[in-house]
Amino acid sequence: MSTQTLADGGLEQQAVSRWRSLVTQESVATIVVSVIVAAAVILPLFVLVVSSFRVLDSGGFDTTWGLDNYRTLYTDRVIPKAFLNTLAVSAGSTVLATFFGVSLAWINARTNCPGRDRLEPFNLIPFFLSPFVGAIAWHNLAGGKTGLLNSWARDYLGVHGNLLNVDNLLGVIWVTGIFFAPLVYLFVVGSLRRMDPSLEDSARTTGAGLLRTATTITLPLVAPGILSGMIIVFVTSAGEFGVPFKLSAPYGWQTLTTQIFSKAVGDDANLYLGAAMSMALGIITVLLIWIQQAYIAPRSFTTVTGKGFRPNVIDLGGWKWLALAFNVTFLLIAVVLPILCLLVVSLHPVWQAEIIPKDLTLHNYVRTLDFWAPDHISAATNGIVNSFILAFLGATIAMILSLVVSYMIHRTKGFGARLLDFLCVVPVGFPGIVLAMGVLVTYIKTPIYATLWIILLGYITRFFPYGQRNISSVMLAISEELDQSSRMAGASWFTTLRRITIPLLKPGIFAGWVLLFIIFLRELSISIILYTSGTETLSVGVYYLTNYENETLTSALSMTQTVMLLVCVYIFRRVAGREALTA
Amino acid sequence: MSVGSAIGAMDNKNAAGHYVEVEGLVKLYGNDRAVDDVSFSVPKGKFLTLLGPSGCGKTTTLMSIAGLHTIDAGQIRVGGVVYTAPAEGLFLPPEKRDIGMVFQSYAIWPHMTVAENVAYPLEIRKVARAEIDARVADVLKLVGLSQMASKLATQLSGGQQQRAALARAIVPRPRLLLFDEPLSNLDLKLREQMRVELKRIQHEVGITSIYVTHDQAEALVMSDEIIVMSKGRIEQKGGPREIYARPVNAYVSNFIGVANLLKGRVTAVTAPGRGEVEIAAAGGAVQVPCLLGKGMAAGADAVVSVRPENVEASRQNGGAAALEGEVIQAIFLGNCVDCRVRWGDFEWKVMAHPRAGLKTGEKVYLRLDPEHTLAVLP
Repeated sequence: MSTQTLADGGLEQQAVSRWRSLVTQESVATIVVSVIVAAAVILPLFVLVVSSFRVLDSGGFDTTWGLDNYRTLYTDRVIPKAFLNTLAVSAGSTVLATFFGVSLAWINARTNCPGRDRLEPFNLIPFFLSPFVGAIAWHNLAGGKTGLLNSWARDYLGVHGNLLNVDNLLGVIWVTGIFFAPLVYLFVVGSLRRMDPSLEDSARTTGAGLLRTATTITLPLVAPGILSGMIIVFVTSAGEFGVPFKLSAPYGWQTLTTQIFSKAVGDDANLYLGAAMSMALGIITVLLIWIQQAYIAPRSFTTVTGKGFRPNVIDLGGWKWLALAFNVTFLLIAVVLPILCLLVVSLHPVWQAEIIPKDLTLHNYVRTLDFWAPDHISAATNGIVNSFILAFLGATIAMILSLVVSYMIHRTKGFGARLLDFLCVVPVGFPGIVLAMGVLVTYIKTPIYATLWIILLGYITRFFPYGQRNISSVMLAISEELDQSSRMAGASWFTTLRRITIPLLKPGIFAGWVLLFIIFLRELSISIILYTSGTETLSVGVYYLTNYENETLTSALSMTQTVMLLVCVYIFRRVAGREALTA
Repeated sequence: MSVGSAIGAMDNKNAAGHYVEVEGLVKLYGNDRAVDDVSFSVPKGKFLTLLGPSGCGKTTTLMSIAGLHTIDAGQIRVGGVVYTAPAEGLFLPPEKRDIGMVFQSYAIWPHMTVAENVAYPLEIRKVARAEIDARVADVLKLVGLSQMASKLATQLSGGQQQRAALARAIVPRPRLLLFDEPLSNLDLKLREQMRVELKRIQHEVGITSIYVTHDQAEALVMSDEIIVMSKGRIEQKGGPREIYARPVNAYVSNFIGVANLLKGRVTAVTAPGRGEVEIAAAGGAVQVPCLLGKGMAAGADAVVSVRPENVEASRQNGGAAALEGEVIQAIFLGNCVDCRVRWGDFEWKVMAHPRAGLKTGEKVYLRLDPEHTLAVLP
């Protein structure tokens, strides 16, 4: 047959090139990416461990091996208390976030609470905003004498002294709990919404009542989700820097993160002690994340089916108005009040805990945003530019890396894939400040130190797993045979990636990109360790203003950041829809 | 160009009947030998089926030929060109093998139309646009999808996706077509229809094909040759009729169709290829005259294999050689009666003629035709 000879002719020439076949595009890409990821993730953690055993001598120049840093952890005057404070804050905010997260998820997924379709997207907003900015807002709302709510209570209710005070550990718990409630919400609402209603119906048909069904069927099915959410909140709270820095540290309540910051970056910086403290924090969080990943996440039964069920809706009767009031209250304290407060404060030249209409001015925005203003504050104006550069570059690079890593994990077999899978979980277990300490001690003597590049490296290392998970969830839904059939059609690995894999993954890639953009735009705890004068980020700008300037300038920049984040969130929702939110 | 001329010479030598050659193929998954020393060849233009239960190594063999994974030992050649030879460090990447493949999930790209899907292999081969359009139209007509050319893959039914996948596989006129259980996701009626159609199209384009399935009916209908596999090894290779009528062992006999299998021992060889097997029965041993399969000699352990349709059942005892049993189940199927007959500990499967009038609980006499009773390896 003539067509056969044609084909044979083409193959004879190709046969020669088979000698080079071991050096394929695929194997080169795999090796390059594995080495990059392994270096980026393992190197800082390794150097961090090593550094924690280096002891600075009294002169502050030479180091020797020893356990002195670890001894200091419990002999120090402040650190043991900071450790206990961290545990208290994490436990407290976990309880608060779980209370809000589970009840809101249940109201929105399973009851006839009025307006729940409209309210639902707003419940997630705190997840995207900066808790640091939340702390600043709540400080102005209820921070002792300068709190607006306290001043109103004095003026209108005749309360003596301060009605509320968030400038303490309870305040840290309050703000952290509210801002991390969406984490629990996300873990729970999915299982509640996707639960097969027949599971509950069949319990009802056996004669179990509503309450009995809820406790014996619904709750056990949702329990892994709740537990996962709780662990994530505990770990995230323990690693949170901005909130305790603003609300409790100035008033004498230190946490591990504020201690790491002041020991490692302060005037008499001791990187090695900072490394040991980071180790203490990191070991706890990694252990908890490992428990969550290994034992709890695999037990979430209901989220796997992926079928679209219409879950049972419970008629609350007259109580539905209470449910609505509860949800609205959450949005008030988590979103509306803080943002309004930032706006009000930012429009005053000086904040005196009262609204003075004739003083209102935009001058604070000019000083923090306008490069060309003679009295502009460069930490703020630099921050905006730098954060946009970091967010854009960081999200792009991280998504390219995520794409290749996801491909390796799901489309290749063997040791390399399992190693990469593991490496992608590791950074999630470390708080940003711990990872940043690792990056700092690793690269302090290289040229990238004190540049934007070291911050970029920190961002990508810590957060690329988020992008990777976004892509992986889409990739798991796409049959491997779609790729293979392209190879069989004669396309190379790279052509297949370009023409088949990437187009199919586009929604996941874009959703992941926007999510990372949002995270990088508000990032504080990595930036605060790695920045120097000139490489401030947006959140570092806010830090600078709250530390060295006044509340009104701080609020102006905070407000700017919040508006930018809200715009991104809007875009994210338009692109990704609510199902894409699985962080 | 010594390599090229060497290939040319090999091509001539192999033109007789060894277009695809698989030699000593071994594929390990950890310590597990997924494919264990498998060798076979396929003549040019023929249709070969790898048949076996899941986990028998048939798909792994196919994937090895496709180059979608590497192998641990052995060699794969097509038309004299070495595709894979780990001993010499040779591995031709899948895209250079010039193979068309139809996957179990069809793998029609959902972000392209049917025509774009089918045009893709030609675009990769840098065929001129006008020729692409003409060839895509031809192939779509061949598979009966001309009307659907501009539809997105997601708008197609299962059967249509199947045809589109076939069109995409054959459009570049590859050297070899591979099918990985392509019909297993279709419903029964469509599956039966597609069997015939697939075979027709393959015959029309004349491309050598290797087909993987666990469905024995599919294998019997479509194949020029069948390889029955189990646990990573080849049990038997042969034409559909040969495999059905002369299975070499109990495994093949049971996997292809239905068979009554009775353990026994060869007691006598009465003529070349004929003999008697002694099987244990309730009232003492019974001598069964039968055809002897490969490796059957006097004294050898054997399994007697009889197809249900080759057991003659009647209510009258017409001769001494009949086995006396009791009907314990008789299901009337129209053209035959599906019976179970208890004979000591053994339960016979019998396809009886409705005229035999067998009824549950009654006595029955079974006669085995020596021409259709086989002694095979256990």
